Amino acid sequence: MAPIVSVRELVKTYPTGTRALDGITLDIQRGEFVVLIGLSGSGKSTLLRTLNRLVDPTSGTVTFDGIDVTRARGADLRRIRRRIGMIFQQFNLVRRSSVYSNVLAGRLGYRTTWRTIASRPTRADVALAFENLGRVGIPEKAFGRADALSGGQQQRVGIARALMQKPELMLADEPVASLDPATSHSVMKYLEEINRKDGITVICSLHFLSLARRYGTRVVALKAGRVAFDGKPHEIDDRRFREIYGEDAVEVEIGVGRTTGEPVEAGDAVDAPALDLRIPPDR
Amino acid sequence: MAEYFTARGLPVPPELRRTPLTEWRRTFAIALAIAVFYISFKVTDIDTSRANLPYALSVVGQLLHFDFLPPHDLSKSVLFPQNEFETFWDGAVGLMVITIFLGILGTAFGMLIAIPLSFLGARNIMAGNRVTMAIYVAVRLIFTIIRSIDVLIVVIVGAIIFGLGNAAGVFGLAFHNIGVMGKLYSEAIEGIESGPVEAITATGASRFQVIWAAVLPQLFNPFVSFSVYRLDTNVRLAQVIGFVGGGGIGQPLFANIQLLRYPQAGTFILLVVITVAAMDFASAQIRRRLV
Repeated sequence: MAPIVSVRELVKTYPTGTRALDGITLDIQRGEFVVLIGLSGSGKSTLLRTLNRLVDPTSGTVTFDGIDVTRARGADLRRIRRRIGMIFQQFNLVRRSSVYSNVLAGRLGYRTTWRTIASRPTRADVALAFENLGRVGIPEKAFGRADALSGGQQQRVGIARALMQKPELMLADEPVASLDPATSHSVMKYLEEINRKDGITVICSLHFLSLARRYGTRVVALKAGRVAFDGKPHEIDDRRFREIYGEDAVEVEIGVGRTTGEPVEAGDAVDAPALDLRIPPDR
Repeated sequence: MAEYFTARGLPVPPELRRTPLTEWRRTFAIALAIAVFYISFKVTDIDTSRANLPYALSVVGQLLHFDFLPPHDLSKSVLFPQNEFETFWDGAVGLMVITIFLGILGTAFGMLIAIPLSFLGARNIMAGNRVTMAIYVAVRLIFTIIRSIDVLIVVIVGAIIFGLGNAAGVFGLAFHNIGVMGKLYSEAIEGIESGPVEAITATGASRFQVIWAAVLPQLFNPFVSFSVYRLDTNVRLAQVIGFVGGGGIGQPLFANIQLLRYPQAGTFILLVVITVAAMDFASAQIRRRLV
């Protein structure tokens, strides 16, 4: 079967000179739950954003379902984008608007500009909005302001908004990095559900390897804009872990409602110099 | 104290590293401020020798002895029409109402032009290619130029175009406000969160739909807040545009002062103070609820 996403020799150099992606080649099959891991700055966010062209790559190609994303323009690009849902670390909801109108905004790619202004949402769109709000378990919050919700609930609204697109691919850019461990699992479970039940391919960047092992069917590790590892989650042993995160890293577990060890990021260095904070004798 | 840090190989806080050089700079800055103040006095040749305190106090007394208080006759006060040829709108109360509406009209016309232009003057909307960036620079430059011309000057120009009266005043207020409100609105647009814009773009929405769904909802409150603030300012400005032929309450106020009719002028000033205070209070209340 043809891959849903195919990335070839992708390079992105930012105007500042940072080479965020340095020749990435990757094929993603339909139905996979791909977890992207890697240190901050390893290119995870940039890679996700080149897939729906929120970021223009410097060279290389991305094809989605056989269509060249890197060359698409105007309406063609928008038709590709509406088949790809995306959720974000900071949820990116319009805070002042209601949950309901935030969710309905996910449908914009299917409406003409004129209809956006001139008419109310169609009955079918409203029904779909409440169906998706029901799926993420917050239909009763529909008419409250988006910023009145907790972080986990806001991310669920983000998922509902993306589901409005009836996407074939879901991109998730560190969807749980701003959430506590228990909430993280609940959000990840919704992603797992749309992957397993709806067959939506998921590409999700994560900080915690334990979450990657628990939810991913495949793990791709990036290091300095290159693919450092690509395989099954259980294949990541101590040696590979150190290759990805550096010599000083220690792995932390993140469980439901409990954490073992300090909740530091997997890649954090642990040898920060201990400061002597005693008051000097001359005072 | 500094050796505590050096002994442990830590950087010494700048507060502890202060040298005579930095102290000298501070002394110089204070001396410079005093020098500028002194030079200002010399250049402007401020002369207070002709001040006449007893006379000034008597004028203030007359100003506060409003023309509706005894021994003046309330029915003959400038608050109301003065003769059979005048209507309610020629009395101070009527003129005050007219002046408030002059301010409202000036604000409305200013908004009408400033709102569409402000999108062209917002960096985050126009960034992308050279043509739009050139438009952005041009629009911002126009705002700055318009803003730098004071309302009273524009009203004088307006009086040449429209003749003396309310039309000149509204023109002056509106023109000046294009510059001021354009800048305020543009900065509000530049201050929006980019996250929702990114998210709506990712759903496949067009550029216009992105503005509609992700930008406009974020702008409603700041725009209303800035508009109310400018309305408040404009009503205050509308009271002085009459000094230079812009209509409203300013013209008779100015005339009464020049005719030394201080009790009548005092009545006008009292109305102005009450109106400004009321506007200020109302505007603050509205803006507080919008935050």
